[in-house]
Amino acid sequence: MSNQRQASSASQVPHLSPAELSYLYTSLSLPKSSIRPDGRSPTQFRPLTAETNILPGTNGSARVGFADGTQAIVGVKAEVEKTVLSNETVDARSEFGISEDRGEQEGSAAVGGHGSWVQMSIEIPGFRDDDALPVFLSEMMRESLVGAVGSAEASDMTGGLKGRLVINKRWHWRLYIDVLLLSQPLSYPLPLLSLTTHLALLSTKLPKLKSQGEEDPFFDDDWAVAEYLYPRVSLSSAKHSARSPFVRPPVTLLVISVGENIIFDPNREEIAVADAVLAISITRDSEAGNLKLLSIRTVDPPSRLTQPGIPNSENVNMLGAVASTEDVAVLNPATGEEEVPGVWRPRRGGVKRSVIAEMVKTVLKKGGVGEEVLEGLEGVEVS
Amino acid sequence: MMADRRRINGPPGGTRPAVFASNSQSGTGATTRAQRQRQPSELRKIFLKTGLIPTASGSSYLEFEPSASLAAARANPKSLIPPSSALKLACTVHGPKPLPRSAAFSPNLVLTTHVKYAPFAARRRKGHIRDSSERDLGVHLETALRGAIIAERWPKSGLDITITILEAEDDRWWGDAPDSHDASWGMMNVLAGCITAASAAIADAHIDCLDLVAGGVAALVSDESAGSSAAPKLMLDTDPAEHRSILSACVVGYMPARDEITELWLKGDSSKASLEDGDKRTGHEALIDGAVDAARGAHTVLAEAVRESLLSAVGQL
Amino acid sequence: MAAPEAKVAPSIPPSLSLPPSQFARLQPHAYLLAHLSPPPASNQPSIRANGRAPSQFRVTSANAGSLTHTNGSAVVRIGDTAAVCGVRAELLHTEDIASWSVSQASGSHKRRRLADLGKKSAEEDEEDEEDDEEDRAHIEDLNLLVPNLSLSTGCAPGFIPGAPPSALAQSLSHQILSLLHSTRLVRADDLRIWYQPPNLGPEEPERHNEDEQMDMDAEHSPTSESKPREIKAFWVLYIDVMIISLAGNPFDAAWAAVLAALRDTKLPKAWWDVDNETILCSDNISDARKLCLRGLPVASSFGVFEADAAAGWRPNVIPDAEEQKAQDQKRKKGSQQSWILADPDGYEEGLSQERACIVVDKEQGGKGKTVIMKMEKHGGWTVDTEELRQLVDISARRWDEMKRMLDQC
Repeated sequence: MSNQRQASSASQVPHLSPAELSYLYTSLSLPKSSIRPDGRSPTQFRPLTAETNILPGTNGSARVGFADGTQAIVGVKAEVEKTVLSNETVDARSEFGISEDRGEQEGSAAVGGHGSWVQMSIEIPGFRDDDALPVFLSEMMRESLVGAVGSAEASDMTGGLKGRLVINKRWHWRLYIDVLLLSQPLSYPLPLLSLTTHLALLSTKLPKLKSQGEEDPFFDDDWAVAEYLYPRVSLSSAKHSARSPFVRPPVTLLVISVGENIIFDPNREEIAVADAVLAISITRDSEAGNLKLLSIRTVDPPSRLTQPGIPNSENVNMLGAVASTEDVAVLNPATGEEEVPGVWRPRRGGVKRSVIAEMVKTVLKKGGVGEEVLEGLEGVEVS
Repeated sequence: MMADRRRINGPPGGTRPAVFASNSQSGTGATTRAQRQRQPSELRKIFLKTGLIPTASGSSYLEFEPSASLAAARANPKSLIPPSSALKLACTVHGPKPLPRSAAFSPNLVLTTHVKYAPFAARRRKGHIRDSSERDLGVHLETALRGAIIAERWPKSGLDITITILEAEDDRWWGDAPDSHDASWGMMNVLAGCITAASAAIADAHIDCLDLVAGGVAALVSDESAGSSAAPKLMLDTDPAEHRSILSACVVGYMPARDEITELWLKGDSSKASLEDGDKRTGHEALIDGAVDAARGAHTVLAEAVRESLLSAVGQL
Repeated sequence: MAAPEAKVAPSIPPSLSLPPSQFARLQPHAYLLAHLSPPPASNQPSIRANGRAPSQFRVTSANAGSLTHTNGSAVVRIGDTAAVCGVRAELLHTEDIASWSVSQASGSHKRRRLADLGKKSAEEDEEDEEDDEEDRAHIEDLNLLVPNLSLSTGCAPGFIPGAPPSALAQSLSHQILSLLHSTRLVRADDLRIWYQPPNLGPEEPERHNEDEQMDMDAEHSPTSESKPREIKAFWVLYIDVMIISLAGNPFDAAWAAVLAALRDTKLPKAWWDVDNETILCSDNISDARKLCLRGLPVASSFGVFEADAAAGWRPNVIPDAEEQKAQDQKRKKGSQQSWILADPDGYEEGLSQERACIVVDKEQGGKGKTVIMKMEKHGGWTVDTEELRQLVDISARRWDEMKRMLDQC
């Protein structure tokens, strides 16, 4: 029961004392030069090991491990499925006898693909699969995945993942993405799961279609000629080739703000003192080649649930031991509340718009964190 | 799947929703798409009343004004297919109450949010058990409210917020086949309504908050009437049934007194927004600003409803 | 309960008085009793704590047809209890019914035999009865009516949202279902979708590829010239009731909401489309028809409040009818010991053990005699036949009231 309740707060509150929280916050919020507990720069990610194609029984798979020992495995399976007609309305065309079978009535659905063709399940030890955290994470990742459409009606059928799943008007691929976290999450597991899913999708291959047109599909059993779900382009040519649709799976980054600083890939201690936590999904724009924002979601910062510290002036044990002038409440510019320096207070309220804009900018700007991450992931595949 | 023996189940073979024949022949005119009659920045009216459920410590009922086409269809019914729908929901707050004995110690008020659609709320019949989108809505709502509630004033206590959606917003126009725009835009409107209603119910339950959080929605809409080449426009408080294609939408939970966002959910491609000349904002910034403006509007309704319930409570004493 | 009160009373200084609302919470039984039995000297009528007379119902209002995505809907408020009901119709194709062809074969056989009988002595009654039997069989065996009631809406503190339906919710759902069945409110004929196959002569050139269909048809009408029309599908009515606010007596509110929603329900015109091999519907509102309900059964619930909370405990003696009667009469002459409260609110429900529920209808739209559709009583033995008769009279008056209100909405 208690587990379930806490789970809804996006991540568990680490058991840090108010003094520890205050220390962390102060060092992370140092103007312009935050000091992270593990010595990383604000935009630096934790070191990780990654490999792909580890599961022979899947169409694509990946494993990513963080240095702290948490590992995630993602397997992607594809199945051929018959496209069913939606029951809501019979298209006018069928009435005039143009279509011979049901499949054609929903021609537009067959061309555009459907979001429900991508199924995602996330398993996290210690959570039931209908708990808030796994549901929230899988909705968040699935949303950017199916939302990553190439520019609406532009001719590139391969633009979005959904469009890529269409075989012909009557058949489509159904994609099952199973995400497994191998140990209890030590930090908010979003970056790990998102990176692993990204790699698994990059390595996903679909067998080559041998049938043509509207036939019932059959495939080449030679795995060597199978095609990538996301067509590969060599790294060097990618940046300059305008003609090739350079579509990549989205990646979701976890960004926090502490004071005036913006910090990427926070670990468990850092997220505990965050003023605001955002999950930002990005992908490469298929046309312009720069980054495109897919979605932003706020994540409930666990700092709201922490225990407050008590200033010396209010502490009965310390009464008279310290001069009351020692702790004077000052206005924290980030939260707009009066605080005694060095005394932890749980966060209240929300985020300023300017902070959100700054966070998104850091991700999206040329040569920013987003590009760095996507390029890094591309590198994994090559090796 | 095992049949749910605690409910009354329908025919074991399952049933199919009704399929309507082409309405071009019947000539009822239902095929005409609902059109937005409001200005881009004009918001729908909101009906919001608190304290309707006496057994709860706080409660509210919220309803959006029906769109012009829906109102016309109601006044002069021709077709059985409604052109659009308007949000109707009831929210109750129970608590603060002691946490169950089994729960761990919490120095703060523990918030539980629960959003459920009635089976008849949407165009497609919903199941009795919450699906992932309903759970997702619950998490969004919790994030939005937790930022506003001053939780340390109720250690070791729990607060249950339950929302029943009697009628949801459409995700798109009913006549459109679910295509590449099958994203559930209607959910965002529902979330905005949930945030506003829950705020009112929390105020009705006399829980201390930093400010009343109001929900607002804005979207980038590409309007085909202006020609397909026209860049998408920013509209506030969009009804997805009234637009051919929504490219991107954003919902916020916003506290005007502190100018802070407690909940932000933005999705879709916002890069192609056409803004006025000289507007240097990027698409997503404009979208967030638009949603905040919509939330400001909802906040006036919210404040009015809370004030009204307070005055009537004072009058009773 | 009376004992602690007696102890507490002297210890409280007379100057300190409890506000009525506090007293109501601390001593609910004594509070209600004090209201119901005012001192004889005061000459006040016996009145309930909520200001109603014992046989008075709460203010009831109903509103139908306000929900967009339903075939019929209604909101009913009885005092502070509010129920929302939405009716959604979906199609059950006969090909989806596992045992359809078998049951249909035997059914039609029976019908034919009856038709033969009918030729000799055409009696309408018998015809009707047979219809009723099939009516019942279709609606009950095929589960064409699917009522479900939900209390997990935050309507009262006790019900955890998201949990499976509580015992109360399950029991209410089943009460609604059995009442729908026993009153035969919905006609099966409204739910059937017929198909008249075109008469294509004995060869049936188009049908050769559909062996199954062919066999069935051949079995049915080997000799007759025109094929009998067949049922292609049924409408299934999903009747979902959400109790939005619970302040006692959920059944009356839920049933009234179901009734009002069914009266509001419109089913589109539907037909079997041979080309698409499916059922198609017309969205034209002038083609749609309303359900033709049988009567207007109205439910009235009662709770029994006993003056002595321990009166339920009686000496266990060998019954002696004479003595019992004498005792009863003596009891009735003295101060009243129990009150039957119509439409109990949440407060009164908590104080009453014995419940009664009476569902009545009036023939010919109110002009005919009163018919009891259901009578249920449990939890005690205060209500006897004489009192039940009075309750039926009260229920009949309630029927008039409800009819007026439902006709308006």
